[in-house]
Amino acid sequence: MLEHVPNLGAYLFCIGIFGLVTSRNMVRALMCLELIFNAVNINLITFSNSFDTQETKGEIFVIFIIAIAAAEAAIGLAIVLAIYRNKNSTRIDQFNLLKW
Amino acid sequence: MNIIELSEPLHEIIFFLLEIGVILGSLGVVLFNNIVYSAFFLGLVFSCISLSYFALNAEFVAAAQILIYVGAVNVSIVSAVMLINKPNSSKMFPSWAIGDKITFLICSSLFLLLVSVISNTPWSNITLITESKALLEVDFTKNVQHIGYLLLTQFLLPFELLSIILLVALIGAIVIARRENFVKTNRKRELQIKKDFTVF
Repeated sequence: MLEHVPNLGAYLFCIGIFGLVTSRNMVRALMCLELIFNAVNINLITFSNSFDTQETKGEIFVIFIIAIAAAEAAIGLAIVLAIYRNKNSTRIDQFNLLKW
Repeated sequence: MNIIELSEPLHEIIFFLLEIGVILGSLGVVLFNNIVYSAFFLGLVFSCISLSYFALNAEFVAAAQILIYVGAVNVSIVSAVMLINKPNSSKMFPSWAIGDKITFLICSSLFLLLVSVISNTPWSNITLITESKALLEVDFTKNVQHIGYLLLTQFLLPFELLSIILLVALIGAIVIARRENFVKTNRKRELQIKKDFTVF
């Protein structure tokens, strides 16, 4: 029973990395990044439930991760909107202005 | 203290259903061509994860997950998708290039490595040690009050820094995403402000 939930976290992590690397749309990359955050959160909550029931330090860390992920999603979407306004396309391989 | 007192097979069935929801939802996020479908499947993944937090005795984090992830992050993602979506293909699933196949091989090997590490860990030994330690400590029931107490005593500095981060992110997102007003001179050598109406 304890092994199933970290397995689910590992699956979400790998799917998130796969989607982040192979997505051609910027918003889909941000969605896969949120999947990665949720995979880490699932692991932390499971270990906090099984090993740290008195002091729920894992849950507090998850609260911090959720808040920081929300702030990062907001800024990422603002950047996506600014880029789309200027270049009128959302393909992630066309934003190479900063390349040398 | 469990918020839901369930029998063991019902617990297993609920967990199984939630895991199926998470697995299918994450596949839908990654594989669909239509990004609106992906955004709604992401909402399904967040809801299933929140329900499994309820089953794992983490009630406050489950409520925070619903409020923040489903209620704020998913809504922002759906609104951004609605603003910049240009449907250009009629197939449901995109075709894979050679880079996609290599990434799939690498990610599946990483997943198999992680699963083998998880199954080789002696979980029963670790739970024996922590349970014997927990019997020696004071036994007060864990609840939301304890989380608040820890946030304001032991984790006070990260809590305050988190509030600063949220403030900076709020201001920064507004500054980045607002529309620009162009100032230019017309023929009469007067300064004229022209508003940019291309995107909302």
